[in-house]
Amino acid sequence: MNLLKPWALLLALALISLMLPFAAAAQQEELSEEEEEAAWLAQVELGEKYYNVNCRLCHGQKGDGKGHVSVIQYAEKNGRVLKTYPRDFTSGLYRFRSTATGCLPDDVDLKNIIKGGIVTSFMPPQEGISEEDLAAVAEYIKTYSERFEEEDLCDVIVASRPDYVASPKSIDRGKVVYNNMKCWECHGYEGTGDGPKAADIKDDWGNKLLPFNFITGALKRGSTPENIYMTFTAGLDGTGMPSYEDSLDEQSRWDLVSYTLKLMGLTKPEEEKH
Amino acid sequence: MHSRFYLSLLLVASVVVIVFMWLATDRELSTEYENYQAEYKDYLVKNAKDEDARKRAARIETGIRQVYIPALKKADRCTSCHIGVENPMMAGVGQPFTTHSGNYLKNHPVAKFGCTICHYGQGRATNKKEAHGGERGVSHWDYPVIPGKYVQSACGRCHDYKMLADEGMETIVLGEKLFREKGCLGCHKVNGTGGDLGKALDGIGSAALHYFSMGHVKGDLTAYNWIKQHFDDPRAIVPTSEMKVTVSEEEAVALTTYIFSMRADEVPSKYKLVKNLPVMDRDGASLFQMYCGGCHGDGQTSIYDEVFGRTIPAITGSGFVNKIDDTTLRIFIEEGRPGTQMTAWKSNAAGLKKEEIDKIIGHTTKNRSGELQQPFNFREFTSDVGKGKALYTQRCAFCHGDDGKGGGRKLGINLKNETVQKMADPEFLAMTVRDGRKDTPMPGFGPDGEGLSEQDIADVVGYVKTFGRK
Amino acid sequence: MMNDLNQAGLSQFKDNLRSLKDSFLGSYGRGGKPTSDKSRAALMFNNFFLHIQGVKTHVNTLRPTYTVGLGLISLFLLMIAFVSGVFLMIYYNPAVENAYNTVKDINFVVTGGRFMRNIHKWAGEAMIIFVILHMARVFFTGSYRKGREFNWVIGIVLLILTFVLNLTGYMLPWDQLSYWAMVIVANITGSPKVVTDIFGVTQFFDIGGFQKELFLGGLNPGQESLTRVYLLHILVLPSAILAFLGVHFWRIRKDGGLTRPETKAAEETAGADIEPAGKKGGIFPTYKTYGLMELAKGKTPAVDNDVENTVMSWPNLIVAECAVFMLTLACVLAYAFYIDAPLKELANAAIPENPAKAPWYFLGLQELVSYSAFMGGIVLPVVAVIGLLLIPYLDREDNNVGLWFTNGQGKMVAFQSFVLTAVGLVALLAFVINFGWFRNWWPGVPQLLIILINPGNLWVLAIMGWSLFTIKRTGSTRMGAIALFTAAMVTFIILTYTGTVLRGPNWDFFWSQSQWPMH
Repeated sequence: MNLLKPWALLLALALISLMLPFAAAAQQEELSEEEEEAAWLAQVELGEKYYNVNCRLCHGQKGDGKGHVSVIQYAEKNGRVLKTYPRDFTSGLYRFRSTATGCLPDDVDLKNIIKGGIVTSFMPPQEGISEEDLAAVAEYIKTYSERFEEEDLCDVIVASRPDYVASPKSIDRGKVVYNNMKCWECHGYEGTGDGPKAADIKDDWGNKLLPFNFITGALKRGSTPENIYMTFTAGLDGTGMPSYEDSLDEQSRWDLVSYTLKLMGLTKPEEEKH
Repeated sequence: MHSRFYLSLLLVASVVVIVFMWLATDRELSTEYENYQAEYKDYLVKNAKDEDARKRAARIETGIRQVYIPALKKADRCTSCHIGVENPMMAGVGQPFTTHSGNYLKNHPVAKFGCTICHYGQGRATNKKEAHGGERGVSHWDYPVIPGKYVQSACGRCHDYKMLADEGMETIVLGEKLFREKGCLGCHKVNGTGGDLGKALDGIGSAALHYFSMGHVKGDLTAYNWIKQHFDDPRAIVPTSEMKVTVSEEEAVALTTYIFSMRADEVPSKYKLVKNLPVMDRDGASLFQMYCGGCHGDGQTSIYDEVFGRTIPAITGSGFVNKIDDTTLRIFIEEGRPGTQMTAWKSNAAGLKKEEIDKIIGHTTKNRSGELQQPFNFREFTSDVGKGKALYTQRCAFCHGDDGKGGGRKLGINLKNETVQKMADPEFLAMTVRDGRKDTPMPGFGPDGEGLSEQDIADVVGYVKTFGRK
Repeated sequence: MMNDLNQAGLSQFKDNLRSLKDSFLGSYGRGGKPTSDKSRAALMFNNFFLHIQGVKTHVNTLRPTYTVGLGLISLFLLMIAFVSGVFLMIYYNPAVENAYNTVKDINFVVTGGRFMRNIHKWAGEAMIIFVILHMARVFFTGSYRKGREFNWVIGIVLLILTFVLNLTGYMLPWDQLSYWAMVIVANITGSPKVVTDIFGVTQFFDIGGFQKELFLGGLNPGQESLTRVYLLHILVLPSAILAFLGVHFWRIRKDGGLTRPETKAAEETAGADIEPAGKKGGIFPTYKTYGLMELAKGKTPAVDNDVENTVMSWPNLIVAECAVFMLTLACVLAYAFYIDAPLKELANAAIPENPAKAPWYFLGLQELVSYSAFMGGIVLPVVAVIGLLLIPYLDREDNNVGLWFTNGQGKMVAFQSFVLTAVGLVALLAFVINFGWFRNWWPGVPQLLIILINPGNLWVLAIMGWSLFTIKRTGSTRMGAIALFTAAMVTFIILTYTGTVLRGPNWDFFWSQSQWPMH
């Protein structure tokens, strides 16, 4: 990693110097407010077009998640039946954010999900989508909720993974955190999603939710340590999963990431042995 | 005159011979069961109520006790150690002396039934290790003593379930009920009837130990543990298993108990006592539950199944039954859906009788409403396959995949499936695309739904039909 | 008168009664108490069982390091197996539905039954080891020559009988081991079918199918097979082994007892723990100062020595034999006390054992069978037996009989052969285990090619070549024989070890049984 840093710096410098002329050009073209408004409308219209073909099936004409496909049922290997409700855009609540709990998602968050999909819940990835369409759809989706007009954007949380993640010591510490923070109440003692309170969880729309079973399958958000860390830090708004940004220090959250990786079977066996 | 070497060798060897003769004799004379019998005798003498009883107790002879029952081909020597099993005085004294629990022995006297007919284990053995068996691969006996929680399995071999229910044999009665209601027969054959996805279960209860692959079993390597743990989590025992089962601990025990009542060795009829005739005539709902429910549940909703890697469709909802006539439905049921997990249920395959299939069809289509679907006059259109392909890629490939195969975390069915291509005429496909399939994720793409024109639909259907060509 | 007569009769009766012990023993031993060499000699030649042995025994015979008692041990093991076998026969019932149960009953109910069964089993299996060791002793001391060539042949017959007796006994309990051993043997006996199939003559000449049916009495192991195996085990083979043993011993006696070194006998035996017979020795009364001089070989009379270093068989030889017998019995009892003979689940045709292994003494062959059933099961064993039979006829050098390895060169050749064979065979096995053989490389290869060219055949050719090379190199057929025999022994041991320990389910390689995938 350290060896790479000078190269990365050099590369970044080179890129910046290349882009400077363009940046200067962009500054010159200052748009009037009206023009900006028109551009935005055009963008939203483009987004709507894309939405109607690719998104409306599930998320509905009104963006309330009640499209023609409606609720999707999914039986895990262990027999648990999960129900997937397509996202209701009118609430402005988003699970997979890189912003603090209660905040609106960053544009990048929305774009990531639109482009990458959520395979585990049948949200298909839009692999071939153009940058223009992507930005347009994201912008269009935002129009369903007033929150985007009313609220200010929050800062993006940056996850930088420490070296000790997935180390045996960190896993052990994470296990302690898991027990102390009563993660098992929902996720079960063995992380199988069958804790004592698992049956009572409902989301903000009143639908029953099942806590994640670490043993089966990948996380919807993606199973990288950074994503798991983000889940603990930002929480999954609208579900029973709170943010632990205030109740756990950063190291504890990373330790919990280690333990989660262990439960998901994503740590290397050699690492466990030592 | 002679060699001291050979003389001393002779002396030492002779001493060793004598020592081992003595050791062997000693081992022969102090057996496990004789020690227990001595203990039993002491107990009786000490606790005798009167002089007579004391004298009787003192006269008890030690030696192997056996119940030899030619009709059952059994020689049970269990009472050599479990000597107080019929003696009411021994109630509450620890094993092996304790009286048999309950009043089972009243109708099942040891002299007539022996022990292993219910408890299994190796009746001929005269030491605990080999008689009980079940330790990790030690005893070389296929049927170790059955744990108490499953012991009711034996009741099902001679008695009907109505009678057992009346007698309070809850575990096995529950097991039998669950076996029907969880739809086990959807995949497993018993007596020639049942699906072919899993193994036939005839005689599974008496299958030899080697029949079960024990690689993942925890605890003692017995068939009991295998079956129970397989109910707890099928893929923990057989990683490639496609079995769908979710049961509570109590249900797993009940099902395990029931499984072990299915033995290949029949009890002679004079040992059987059947008070009620078995239920032969089941209604459509029960039949649906027995044979279809294992996968389709109640048939009201479609579920994408991780084990099968495909969507199991809703089949009792109006979205399906309003579209399909009984003849087609019968073909689906009788012939199955090749390429999917759906079994062919006709009498010479999965063994369902015609009347039973009739009943299942009756149950499946009970939600059928009279309303007719507007036909799609496919012949009026000429499909443009090229346009159809573009539309398909845009609107259908999400769920059915670019290649039309579905599966692998895609919700749609496999459009390349032979049955779909052969059975479904273009009109049917077009109607489905136009109106969608209610109760399944398939939305209607027609003017009322996603807004495709009838020409568009005809183009798409034309393209989908090309999947059938090879 | 009558009274006197009566008195005399009674006193006579009293005297007879008093001397009952002496007169009985005298009549038994025919020569009275063995107090003199004459009576000792009489004891030997008057006794039916002892007279197979000479009155006098060469000291070399009693030297423990010469024979190591291996032949005797084999005989005693056979006797132990006979006695315990009769005991087992009382309870065993050779019916398919009863056999397993009666064996269980022998284990569980019969007093001393389990112990007896263990004794029978282990004595039988020990026989295999000791018969082979005995054969090795006879070979390495060159004792198959000078009129003993045919006795070597009989010895080989006894070796085969020992194997077959053990194998048939293995099949009697009708457990999984019995059943699947029966299947393996049946398949081997049927393996010539592969060859007749290749030549398309099976329909005219199905020797494989005939053999298989002859052995099984049907197409699958069942009651017929069990009856046949039982008959072989308790009647045919024991009678045969007794007959051949009789001839074996009789010929030893006729050939002048055990072999011994011709020269240097005195020095060789000087350290032996045998008291020389002394001047008073000999079969002639000590008080006689004259008599027929004994006929002796050699140029000069041996002073202070009995004829050609011999001692009286009674008690020297008899004590030694008793000691060996007791030692054998003690070892068998101890082993049988601690280790139970195996008895697995009831035979079940539906559940093949995996790996289905023959008894350990055939696992060397089974390793060869895994390359080619026909070659490994039939041709190579026949070649090996023929090779053993021919050794005394192809090596006719009769110098240095009775000396271990003949001479220093023999020791060298044996050592070279041992090292070469061990290294070569392990390398060959390692190659086969790692890289497989033709079938793994070219799946479509014709079976005939594999029958002709497989590791077993190549190896046998290699050790034959090594033997011929040794003959050429040393100019001695004896050296060639030593090279060949040593190689064959090492091969047998390594293959048996491989088949027993290193082969697991599907005949795959494992370092030990603990690594087998759990079924």
